[in-house]
Order: sequence, then structure tokens, then C-alpha cells
Amino acid sequence: MAFPIDSSACGLSRRQMLKAGVLGAGFSLSSYLRLQAESGKQDDGRSAILVFLGGGPSHQDTLDLKPDAPAEYRGQFRPIATATPGVEICEHLPRLARRSEQYAIVRGITHNLAAHSLGTRYLMTGNRPTPVLNFPMYGSVVSKEFPAAEDLPSFVSIDRPVEGPGYLGPEYGPLSTGEKPRYGQPFRVRGITLGDGLTIEKYQARRSLLTDIDKTFDGYERLDDSVRGLDRFSEQAYSIISSPRARDAFDLTREPDREIERFGRHDFGQSMMLTSRLIESGVRFVTVLLEGWDTHQDNFNKLGHELLPRLDQSLSALLDRLGGRGLLDSTSILITGEFGRTPKVNGNSGRDHWARAMCSMMAGGSVNGGQVIGETDAKAEGPVGEGFTPDDLAASFFQNIGIDPKTEYAANVGRPITLIRDGSPIPGLV
Amino acid sequence: MRIFSAVLILTVLAGFTAEVRADAPTLKPASDRFAESDIQETPDFQKHVAPLLGRLGCNGRSCHGSFQGRGGFRLSLFGYDFNMDHKALTAKSSSRPGTRIDKTVPGSSLILQKPLEQVEHEGGQLFDVASWEHHLLERWIAAGAEGVAEPHELERLEIEPAEVVFSFDAKPVQLRVVAVWKDGSQEDVTPLCRFRTNDDSVVSVSDDGTLTAEGRGDTHVIAFYDNGVGAVPVMQALSDRTGDNYPKLTATTEIDGFVQTKLRKLGIVPSELCSDTEFLRRVSIDLTGTLPTPDEVTEFLADTSGVKRQRKIDELLERPAYAAWWTNRLCDFTGCNPSQQAELGQETSVQWYMWIYKRLQDNVPYDELMEGIVKAQGRAAGSSYDDYATETTGFYRDDSAAAFTQRETMPHYWSRRSVEKSDDKALAFAHSFLGIRLQCAQCHKHPFAPWTQQDFQQFSAFFDNVKFGVVPDDDERYRELAKQVGLNVRGKNGSPVRKDVLRRAQSGRTIPWRELYIAEREDSVSLSLLRSGKVELDRADDPRTAIMRWMKEPENPWFARAFVNRVWAGYFHVGIVDPPDDLTPANPPGHPGLLDWLTKGFVESGYDMKWLHRQIVSSHAYQRSWKPNETNREDRRNFSRAIPRRIPAEVVYDSVKQAVAGAGQLDEVRTDLTRRAIGHLSMRLAGTYAMHVFGKPERAVNCDCERVNQPTLLQSIFLHNDPLIEQRLDESGWIEEVAKLEASDAAIDRAAVVRTAWLRTLNRLPTEDEQQRAQVHLEQTPSISEGVRDLLWALINTKEFILN
Repeated sequence: MAFPIDSSACGLSRRQMLKAGVLGAGFSLSSYLRLQAESGKQDDGRSAILVFLGGGPSHQDTLDLKPDAPAEYRGQFRPIATATPGVEICEHLPRLARRSEQYAIVRGITHNLAAHSLGTRYLMTGNRPTPVLNFPMYGSVVSKEFPAAEDLPSFVSIDRPVEGPGYLGPEYGPLSTGEKPRYGQPFRVRGITLGDGLTIEKYQARRSLLTDIDKTFDGYERLDDSVRGLDRFSEQAYSIISSPRARDAFDLTREPDREIERFGRHDFGQSMMLTSRLIESGVRFVTVLLEGWDTHQDNFNKLGHELLPRLDQSLSALLDRLGGRGLLDSTSILITGEFGRTPKVNGNSGRDHWARAMCSMMAGGSVNGGQVIGETDAKAEGPVGEGFTPDDLAASFFQNIGIDPKTEYAANVGRPITLIRDGSPIPGLV
Repeated sequence: MRIFSAVLILTVLAGFTAEVRADAPTLKPASDRFAESDIQETPDFQKHVAPLLGRLGCNGRSCHGSFQGRGGFRLSLFGYDFNMDHKALTAKSSSRPGTRIDKTVPGSSLILQKPLEQVEHEGGQLFDVASWEHHLLERWIAAGAEGVAEPHELERLEIEPAEVVFSFDAKPVQLRVVAVWKDGSQEDVTPLCRFRTNDDSVVSVSDDGTLTAEGRGDTHVIAFYDNGVGAVPVMQALSDRTGDNYPKLTATTEIDGFVQTKLRKLGIVPSELCSDTEFLRRVSIDLTGTLPTPDEVTEFLADTSGVKRQRKIDELLERPAYAAWWTNRLCDFTGCNPSQQAELGQETSVQWYMWIYKRLQDNVPYDELMEGIVKAQGRAAGSSYDDYATETTGFYRDDSAAAFTQRETMPHYWSRRSVEKSDDKALAFAHSFLGIRLQCAQCHKHPFAPWTQQDFQQFSAFFDNVKFGVVPDDDERYRELAKQVGLNVRGKNGSPVRKDVLRRAQSGRTIPWRELYIAEREDSVSLSLLRSGKVELDRADDPRTAIMRWMKEPENPWFARAFVNRVWAGYFHVGIVDPPDDLTPANPPGHPGLLDWLTKGFVESGYDMKWLHRQIVSSHAYQRSWKPNETNREDRRNFSRAIPRRIPAEVVYDSVKQAVAGAGQLDEVRTDLTRRAIGHLSMRLAGTYAMHVFGKPERAVNCDCERVNQPTLLQSIFLHNDPLIEQRLDESGWIEEVAKLEASDAAIDRAAVVRTAWLRTLNRLPTEDEQQRAQVHLEQTPSISEGVRDLLWALINTKEFILN
């Protein structure tokens, strides 16, 4: 297999590439990139963020409240009005309520995989999981379609990947930060920030030694893809590790105190601040986690005192910051969990897994904010009508990012795979 | 050799000899016969109408072959569902009243007006008025638009010329394809074929089968008609050093004979043999997944014997690491994946690995080894459920993977969650043991292989009674045992054993296990075995017995060949057929004679895997330098030089460890397989960050391509700066030794240290420039040991380290 040339991806036949001097003796990386740019998509700096609310957030206690349902269904929270007439959300999301024109709420998303791992795979790929094929996570698709600049990773996961690159292959996997930034603590990323005792000068000295002794293939760099690939990636690794750009992107000490406070004194807030930094510096896709929504017990305390205030504060800060820097229109943001929770409150003041109804938020890009799309029935048990599938949600997300959800990839299973096979964009959302 | 007779005979299934019948007159091509409008011949739906629609692209994926159809009209994808297509063609139109055909006024039929673009057609105009295509379809309608009652059976396609060698000023060449049917009738079907070139930088092919030379190199042009597939090798020499102008080479092995015959045609002169150090590193990695030690390199260089390479090969084949590394590869092919096991993924995968490992160590013949997987049984014949449960519990008690290896068969292949359905068993089986891909045929006619959906369904039905669960008769006993150990049973078919239940086994209790068994079918069946004949199966027959018997027939086209080709692909950057797990007539071998010879020899050797390895690594083709000459720079298909390959994930992991180990630990680091990524750690490391980054396959899908040996950015970041690399350097026994020596104020021979660094990593001596540059660095750092640390880092990051 040729690397890094993927003729199917850049739409050129082998002959066209030969004619263009891409293969064989006339190859140069810049000509490859130029060709890719000519034949590929116009990306004009698009990026995307996935905020994953892991554990299955209760839909009826967040964005789909049912104040008129019987007490054992409606729970303890009251709805509040938002800036959008007629749209109400949970009282513990006051900041987001004021910003309702910037996002759309999708209610009545429905599926039937009420187990965490399966539900997560479904929601993070837009394809119903199957044991015989691994579908790629959104970020892997974006990093394939819109690679970042040389000295930056295309796809970053804070702190760990939510799902893998699947059939697209490991080169489209995320760079994982390994840990979450903590309020008031120093922060460092696996592989990307120099370790203890390794200064940039020392790294440069090592690199200079490497350059001088790595000469076996000199004069033959253009002969073989793997040799060429190694040169290219070694250079890029060095650029990323040593460049001020990547280092700055991950360097939270550069954030002024008021920003740190604005995003919140917790992991999630600091992660959202890092997310914003990464997008601002040119990273194309970031996943960020807010976990703890698996509230079989004590649902209302956990949501009311911790999860909802954090989400409210940090997501609002992210929207404000990206908006303020003019990046919201080019950054698509999806906020979702893997399923909803049971309509009826259980004996432990908790709610259990419920996949028949859930809700999500989408912001940024070309999303039509200030609206609710879809609806659940009186007790939030299921959608009114057909509802939407995770596939539809994924198709809309890709549409918002600027990637055709019907794109086909030459997967490693012997047949072409459609990116989102079964879904289509939700009308009116984007 | 059969393939290169004057007329290339392409059988429907590669490898089957077709019986040549007495010459029947060959019908002229349809383009001649239907050139005029006053024809009496009635076109046949299968032989003429369906192929014409295929050739015109009507049943392609972006047109009416789409599963949603197009414009309300849907055909079977790539044809071969004659009933469905006939129905669609003769059905009511979705765009106007009446049916799509008009038998009384054929010319007003929609299926003519559309491709003639007499009415609006998104697909445009496909043929001209009064063309032969027009006449053929019109005549078919006029004659009653009959469908297919009983399909004709295609015997083979014959293509002329059998091989095309273009000279530099080559004129186009017209192919002629003759279909030979089982009933003896023959027809020139050139205008009804679909053609495809496998490399459009070498040759292009027009819709009517005209080949035009595009550039130097070699490839195949493929013809498709009905369910037949034929291939014609096409080449254009890379230099003028062909025929008599070719240098005299000494072909030492049979393999080299085959390789050089083709190189001579192509004007490619192979590269020189590689150096002794290159050879030693290459063969150690490929055969044993292990780098040679500094001492081994030194000794090998000092050995003046003319047969030292041969001796080294024999020695390596006897090392446990050979068995360990190739067990890894067999685990790849058979899909050993902790996360897909029926239960206790980690333990079960280790059992799987160990079961194969023991057999490779004993050099059990390949067919016997595979038979133990293919025909695996839950319990031994005649034993009771209690016996089975007790025995199986024993395999999970303490460290009993070793006891498991004594089992005659290895059942975990069949109990994986990914192969619960017959269709999935069929796909996995075809991939693991036959090296063929049936995926497409699961839903429609395979576009590039002879497989139809019916072929797939029949093959899949073989596996209908291969079950994993609780034998109904044992259900009561199973539940009793389950109660005793607190296993919660859900559903009718038993439940997976979890860790907490397993803990009870440690205290001596017997755990109820589900088992692999053959259920009774509702009826006896007669099934086509991938079109190699019918198999009658009684209700209680184990279908795998017949399949195994068929696979072991010496002329079986896939079983031995798939393995031979995969092993070859383990030693080169490509297989003789590539991708190696796609044996199909449309993906023909670059060296058919070589593959035939190796396969035959392998079978005749008694499926001796060591024979196969020895043949390949002893050849000059394997021992070539990667450095090109002016004739083979562009060659990547003909084994005229070594193409550098990134070393596999497990080998990266082990090699870094070995490179930094203290002199005293070196042997242990290499030979203690329980701590090696190619050894027992293989399963435990599956899915870890390092393995993921370097492309160790998850073995989650049926594709050899899951093992990724391509460089990526993350790999470079990993080697440059991952905490694991720094940790290895931190813990390096060798650096510590240097530091100690330094602290003792002993004189340190810097040149010797540098030599050792090279021998540890690149397994050769440094050049003078390298030696000098390294010494300069050692002088610049505050201490030698710190300099050595940098040096090891740099060496691990060279291309030479990560490539083989």
C-alpha cells in the first residue's frame, strides 16, 4: 500500500499522479500536498468540538423538562425561560439559557442500545455498532478530510479517546493528552511536551545528532514510501514537540487568571479552556469529556450541585470565547451523551438507562440556533412521531462541519463503506 | 505450465483444470450479429441482455444497481440476479403508465427510449439509434422479452492473446474473449465484457477491449462476463536489457529461477545481494521477531564459511522465538482477539496463542494444525458434560494455559462473539483458511470475483448447525452447576463465565461452561461448496468435515496457496498475490509459476512450515539489497530489490527493550518469552497505547490489512518523546554499566562504546563518519553515560532502526 498517497482519498488515479510527478522520481511532499489541495475539499479553517457527557445524561432533567408530568416523572428541577421565546431548559443552566440563540436543542433522539459501551460507540460514530467492523469517531474523519498544519496534531482528545479511528486506520487516531488539566496544577501531554529533565536545547542536540547519523537512505528518500513517510513524520514530530505553536497551544500557564476563573475551577472547565486554545491555534478536532451522568442514585444532587453548573459555566465560556474571537462560525460543536434516563425516578432518587429518548445540543458552524427540533411525549418516554436516530444526528454534525455524510471510504473490509449509512441530516438544524 | 499455452485458458475458478471439448463453432460477436436490423436470432437474457446492461454500466452502484435504485428503477448490483432484473425490466414504469417494455411496439419501450435518450435520462445516451446494442435489446423485446428459466452454466472464458508484452512503440492490442458454456457452445463475447486494468499507469483498456500501452511496468487486464473472470498479463520492459541483452545471473534456488525469468522479460536487473549484517538483521526480524545481539553480529561477520547464511537460517528456525513470532501471525490470520472471545477474553486468548505456539514449536504440519481449529470440538467423543466442565475448569485454574495446549482441538475460533451468525462464520472462515473475500457476495454479485450471492448463501448454510452454547440435553445439569457457583443464567443458551465466577474455580468447584457442538439440522441438505461440487449433509453431520477434506485435496485452489502467499508476504513488502488475503481471478499473482511451485512443494513436503520458510529466506530474491540500480528503481512488484518495511509493533516494543538492556540481561530479555511482546505478552499488550500506535492488529475484522506497518506521525512522536522511551532509557542496564565504569574512573574506550551502540540497535558497525560524529557528541555531554543516552535515543529514531 502506498503511503502517504491515498489515491482514493484525493481522487487521482495512479496515472494522473505519475503524470503529475507525484510518484516515482519526481515526487516531492509539497507537490503531493498541492495536488491534494487542488483535488480535495476547500476547508477554510473548519474545526469541530465534541463535548461528551459520558454516562447518559438525564434528558428530562437537562434540556427536555416535563413540568406537567406526574411528580414521580418530572423530578425535582423546574424549567426556566431562555432568550428564545417558548424554549425552556433546566433551572440549573441559567447562563446557557441566556445564550440560547447560539445553539439548537435536538429532542426525541431515539435508539435501543442502553449499555454504555454500545451506546457510546453508536453516538460517537453515527453508525450502529457491529462486531465485524469498527466505525471511525468523528474526529478521525475530520482529521482525514481536514488535516492540520505541519506542526500541530489534527485531532486531540482530552484526556482519552472516546472512540477510535476504526477502519480509517491509526494515522487518524487522536493525540490523547493522557490527563485532564486541573485547576491550579501544571499540565503536560504525553509525547508532545518535553519530559522532566529534557530541555529544548537537549532535544535539539539529540535531533542534530540524529540528523547527522540517519544517513543510510540519503539520496534514496524518494524511492520508497516508508522512507519518505518516516522523514516526513519525524520532521513533523520534531516540529510539534519543539515548535512554540504546539507547545503554546497546550500551555495553559499563558491563560490569564480571569479566563481560568471564567471557565471554572474544575477539570472540565480547564479542559474546555484547553479545547478553546487548541481550536484557536489550528487543531481541527477536539473531544472533551464531562463524565458522571450515570446517576442510578442521587440524580438530583449530582446534577444540581455539580454537573449542570459546571456544564453551564464552561460551555458558556467556550461559546463566548470562540464567538468573541470570531471562530464560532467555523467551529461546529456537538454536545451529547450516549442515551437518556428512565422517565420515572427510581427508589434511590436516581434514574436508570433509557435509550428510547435522549437529547443533544449543537452549536457553532452554520447551526440554526435559537430553536428546539423534535419532541418527546408527555412523560419523556419516547419521541413524538419517528424521532431522530443517532445516525441522523451524526449526519447533521458532518453536514455542519462540511463533510458529506454519504462520503465513501475504502475500508479494510473489502467493500466501500458509506460514512453515515443510515441517517440523513435533520431538516432545519443546519 | 498450463497458464501460458497459446490460448490462455481461464477457468471460472482459478486452479481448476477445465476439460477442453471438441471444437464447436464459435458464434461471432453480438456486435456483428446484431449490426443489421433484420435479425432472426433471439437474444438470450443471461448471455446477452444482462451482460450488455452490465457493460453499459446500468447495474453499477451509482446507477440502477444502487440499493435504492435510481429514478424508481432498480437492477441487481453487478447483475446475476436474473429474476429480479427481468422483473424490473418488464415491470410497470414509475414515470408513465404501462410497463417498461412494449412488446407490440418495441421501439416505444422505455428501456430503449431511456438509453437512447429519446426521453429524459439522467444517465445520458448510452448507445446510438440503429446500433447493435439498440437492435439487440429491441429484438429481445420483440421476441417476447423472455427471462431465464434455468441458468446456463459458464465453463470458462478464453482470452487472446494470452499475454501482452508491449515494445516501446507499442500499437494498441485488441483482446478477444470467448465464452465456453458447459453445453459446449461457444461465443465471442468481447463486446459484452466489462474490462478493467489493474494499473492504469501501465496499460489502459477501452470498453471494447483495446489495450493501449501507458508506461513501463507490469500488471493485468481483467475481463468480466457472466460469472466468469479472466486475466491477461500485460507488460512493458523497464529497460532495453531484455532477452539476449540480459546479464547472465546465477539463479541459485528454484524461487530465483521463477523471479529471474520475469525480470528478464521486463529488462530489470536485480540488485546485489545485501551485506551479511543486513541479512542477519533482516532474517532475524522476519523469522524470529528479534534483533540479533552484538556478539551474534560479530561472530557472524567473523565466520568465513560459504554456507553461513544457510546455517544461520537453520539455527533461527530452531529458536523458540521463531515459534513465538509466527504464532503471532497465525493469531492474526485466525482472528485471536481478547475483546471478541465468548468469555474471559484475556485467558481465552492466551490459551489460543499457547495452543498454536506449542504446535509451531513441534513443527506440526500446517494442515494438521488448521484441522485442529477447523474441526474443533467442545468435548472429546464419548465424554459427559461433567467431564467437559471439569476439564475446562481445570484450564482456567491457576496457570493452566499449558494444560489447554494438550487439547486435541482449539474451539475458541468458533465461539467468538463476532461469528455467532452463519454469515459471519462463512466470512471469517473464507478469510482465515482460504484467503478469499466473500464480503461483497453477501449482498450482491461480487463485482470482481466469480462469487454470486447464491454461492455465498450456500457456503454460509454449511455453518448453520455449528453452535456455541448449551447442548439441550445438558441444560438441566448446566443450570445445576450454575446455581452452585452463583452464575446467573440468562436466556436459553447459557451465559458467559465472568471473573467472579472464575474465582470459585480456584477453590475447586466445577464451573458450567458453554460449549461448541454440532446441532441437528431440521432437514438434510445438499449444498454447493464454493462451486467446487455439491456436498450432501445429513441432519447431524458436522459440515466442517467435508470442508476440511476438500481443503486438504492437493488441487484445492486456496487452502495451501493462501498460507504460502501469506508467508511470502511476511518476508517481502507484498505477497505474490497482493493484497495477500484476496485470492481471486481478478487479482492474479504477479508470479503464477512461482506461487504454483511453492504451493505444490509445500503440500508435498507434508505441509512443513519450516520447509516453506527455509525456501523463501534462502533465495537471492529475499537476500537482495534495498539499493536500486538504474533498471529496478521503479520496480516494486517483482522482487528485484528489497523494499524497506517498518518493523511490526511487537518487534518495535521488544527491540527497544533489547537495545537498552544491560550486557548481563541481554539474553534474558531476548529469550524469556513470557516477557516479550511477540511472546506471552502478545495478548496482554493487545490494545495498549504502544501497540495501537504501531499498528498491532485488533483482529476485529476479516482483513490482513488490519496489521498496519506504515509509519505515522504518532509513531514518530512516540519514538521521539514518549514517556515509555524515556523510561526505557532511564532504566537502561547498559547506560548504568557505562555510568558505573565512568564513576570508577576507569578509562573508557569511547570508540568501543559507539560500536556497541550501533551493534545493539542497527546491528552493524558504524561507518567512520558515524563513529566520529558520535564521539563528538560524547565529548560534548557532561558525562559519557549521558552521551550514550542521547546516542541510543538517536539510533532508535533512525529510519534504519525502524525499517527492515
